[in-house]
Amino acid sequence: MTTVIMRTTARVIVPIILVVAVTLFVEGHNLPGGGFIGGVLTTTAFAVIYLAFGLDFLERGVLGRDVEPGKEPSRDRVVVAYRRLFEYGLAIAVLSGLVPLLFDRPFLTQTFVEFEGVPIYDHVELASAVAFDLGVYCVVVGGLLTILSVVGAE
Amino acid sequence: MTPESSIVLAAVVLPFLVAGLTPLLYRALGERVGYAGAAVAALCFGLLATQYGTEGIVEVAWIPSLEIALQFYVDGWGLLFASLASGIGTLIFLYSPSYMHGETGLARFYTALLAFMGSIVGVALAANLIAIFVFWELTSLCSFVLIGHHTGDEDSQYAARMAMFVTVGGGLFLLVGFLLLSIVAGDVLGPAAAFDLTAMLENPDAMESGLRDRGFFLPVLGLLAIGAGTKSAQVPVHFWLPNAMAAPTPVSAFLHSATMVKVGVYFLGRVRPLLVGVEWLLLFATVGLATMTVCALLAVAATDIKELLAYSTASHLGLMVAGFGFTSIYGAETGVFHLLNHALFKAALFLIAGIVAHEAGSRKLSELGGLRRDLPITAAMTVVVALSMGGIPPFNGFYSKELLFEAALEASHYHDIGALGWIYPAVAVFGSIFTVLYSLRFLSLFFGERPEELGEIHRPAIPLVAAPAVLTVLAAVVSVDPELAVRAAVQSGVDATAVDPHEMHVGLPTEYSTPVGMSAVAIVGGLVAYPFYDRLHTGIQTIPRAVPPASPSWWYGSLVDVLPRAGAGLAARVHNGLLRTYATWTLAATAAFALAGFAATGMISATGLGFEIPIAVALVLVVAVAAGLAVATSETHVAGVLTLSILGFMVAIFYILASAPDLALTQLVVETLVLLIFLLVIEEIPEFDESLGRTARDAVLSVAVGATVFVTVLVATDSRPGGTTDVARYYATRAVPEGGGTNIVNVTLVDFRGFDTLGELAVVALAAISILTLIVMRSSRGIEPGTESGPETEATDGGDDE
Repeated sequence: MTTVIMRTTARVIVPIILVVAVTLFVEGHNLPGGGFIGGVLTTTAFAVIYLAFGLDFLERGVLGRDVEPGKEPSRDRVVVAYRRLFEYGLAIAVLSGLVPLLFDRPFLTQTFVEFEGVPIYDHVELASAVAFDLGVYCVVVGGLLTILSVVGAE
Repeated sequence: MTPESSIVLAAVVLPFLVAGLTPLLYRALGERVGYAGAAVAALCFGLLATQYGTEGIVEVAWIPSLEIALQFYVDGWGLLFASLASGIGTLIFLYSPSYMHGETGLARFYTALLAFMGSIVGVALAANLIAIFVFWELTSLCSFVLIGHHTGDEDSQYAARMAMFVTVGGGLFLLVGFLLLSIVAGDVLGPAAAFDLTAMLENPDAMESGLRDRGFFLPVLGLLAIGAGTKSAQVPVHFWLPNAMAAPTPVSAFLHSATMVKVGVYFLGRVRPLLVGVEWLLLFATVGLATMTVCALLAVAATDIKELLAYSTASHLGLMVAGFGFTSIYGAETGVFHLLNHALFKAALFLIAGIVAHEAGSRKLSELGGLRRDLPITAAMTVVVALSMGGIPPFNGFYSKELLFEAALEASHYHDIGALGWIYPAVAVFGSIFTVLYSLRFLSLFFGERPEELGEIHRPAIPLVAAPAVLTVLAAVVSVDPELAVRAAVQSGVDATAVDPHEMHVGLPTEYSTPVGMSAVAIVGGLVAYPFYDRLHTGIQTIPRAVPPASPSWWYGSLVDVLPRAGAGLAARVHNGLLRTYATWTLAATAAFALAGFAATGMISATGLGFEIPIAVALVLVVAVAAGLAVATSETHVAGVLTLSILGFMVAIFYILASAPDLALTQLVVETLVLLIFLLVIEEIPEFDESLGRTARDAVLSVAVGATVFVTVLVATDSRPGGTTDVARYYATRAVPEGGGTNIVNVTLVDFRGFDTLGELAVVALAAISILTLIVMRSSRGIEPGTESGPETEATDGGDDE
């Protein structure tokens, strides 16, 4: 898979995929998208990187760290980071659900506020569900990437 | 008078609270923690005693949205049982430190014992079906810990498992019975009374007609009978109780006299006004008398003093069940009065057995005898309680057994039961002969010749004698003045368990009546047969040897033997390490259960499908079908994966055409990811296996899964393309005002059904963790990579989550 065509294409499309993924995540509340789709799309971008450049590329090429050969895949620093990502994601989702309890509302109650006349955007709406959605995003990205990298390393 | 809610709650909660603190107390007090337990039990008893004479409901909201409350109903019957549990509990706690001196695991022992007592008090007072069930199962759990106290001992563990298996299993039947009851109560008495046993007992006629109208009467009766019968060791599950004597003697005394084994009997008394009738009579009188007779025979065959007492307990439980089974007032009187009498004499007998075993060092009947010279006080106590157990006048057991004879005779006056009208009294007398026999045998431990080989016997410590002495005195008081016990406790219990309560009188008979004659036959029969005791003993023992199924635990034993072997065989078939086997079984089982469920509930019906399909959709579907065929016929993995993704993309386009952009987007993204992952691992997938049988199996399986999905969609969407359901309208109208988003799908996911989404997140996280674990485990064990199942699992995950 690590052909020149693949690598060249990957260089171009991975940033586009990531931007689209973030857009999907942010727009999720009003347009098609959301944490889950954004998360899966982000994972896709990483999968393309893995396919085109190999599993160690992230550590060596992007983070500039040396790869320790012969290490257990589950102890790999990148895998640990992914694992943390989905752990934090789950924590964010649960904590965002717990916040309403402070205001005497049921678990996972969501609300929203709207701001008018903001520069450039004019109308901005902030939903508390974004925090929960961020949790979804993190869990999906972290979980899928953990699986992908661990299985890929085999 | 209404009960004081704080006092009742304290009496139930206190034992659990102190049970939680017991490990800490044990560190501070050491073995004396038993006396702290005694203080708690005495306090409980005192708290309950202050509520004497009150009646009413105490309520604490528990799960208000389901109408489940921690309801306690205080009345004479509940108080009698709860006081027995806490009162005898006090004595057991006083007795334990001396008996358990030097044993290990005492912190756990006392914790479990306290929790056990608390659960029994809870069952006795709980009025909400769910609360009853929780306490009911708690008693099983605690008894499991207590019976298995000697954790290093195989027999002890076997007995604990057996008790757990039987009583918790029976509890599940009870749960189903409760749910049926609550369905009917919810309909008949209103949703607030769905789990409220008190409300049901106040309207027995409405409940009975409600149960009969729905055809639930017999199922409920049967389910409750299984629950109560397993708990109270009725035939044919009477085998667990004698095994439970593997527990330390204080536990046996508690378990067999005042607590768990009586819970079933107690509960039968509780629901008796609700379900009593001719079916009730036939079921419980038969089961009870059968248990009484069979277990009395087995008690005669026993070789160990605790075994003798254990079978006699089961036999007496049968007597109580039979008592409650008879529909007349005498039946209720038998059940309530014997519950009290049995608790007094059986607890004392077990404690005496503990003294004998502790001081003489043996529990074998054949090795013991003539102990009265060494243990004079114990011998004197035994005379009272053993004769009471045998139903010899004027001891207390006599009065309640007399009531059973009366009830058995009366049965045919109330219902037309044919020959059973005289079989019941005959069986009752027959069983009683053996009751007399084994009671005399127990008494003979203290009389007659002292065997040579019996070594020196120490005097028991004071606490060891004090506890049974208190019980013996109480039994003696009831023997001398039964009317006192009736006025103090039994009458109010009878009021709660009888359909037509009226004033109860007991006393020594002054003139001849049929029950007196029956008692005379039983006692004289016992006395005449006593010289042949050894012959009877060996005779009964040979029966199970000749006919294995007649042995008490034969069914359990064979079941326990067969299950692991069958389980291992099944596991080898279903769980053989090949992913395709797992997939086959999982998919086939899911499809079978789903289709069977739809068929059973009559959801599958001929539905007219409108085939108004736009050209665009038709084209997409044709391409999808073509791709599906191509997947099936593809030669290589790469071709298969690529054609499979054509199918997936067509589905995505179909979603777009059906105006579901969110779904389409998800499908596209997941499809892309799956394709990439397949490409990543494609070299690892083993070659196709083209055998005809496997192809046929796969074809059948695919058709079944397809049919299941099709039918499910048809049923779940109510097969109305284009129409909107209430649910859909609800979300559509609420999305913007309540969620603040115009994308209904996402608003539903994060605002309205956030809990579902959270569950899915947990699934993704779990999948990741389990794959991580699998691979770590494999590399730590050094197994070579071979049949890897990662990517497929992951692919299904992605699909499932949307």
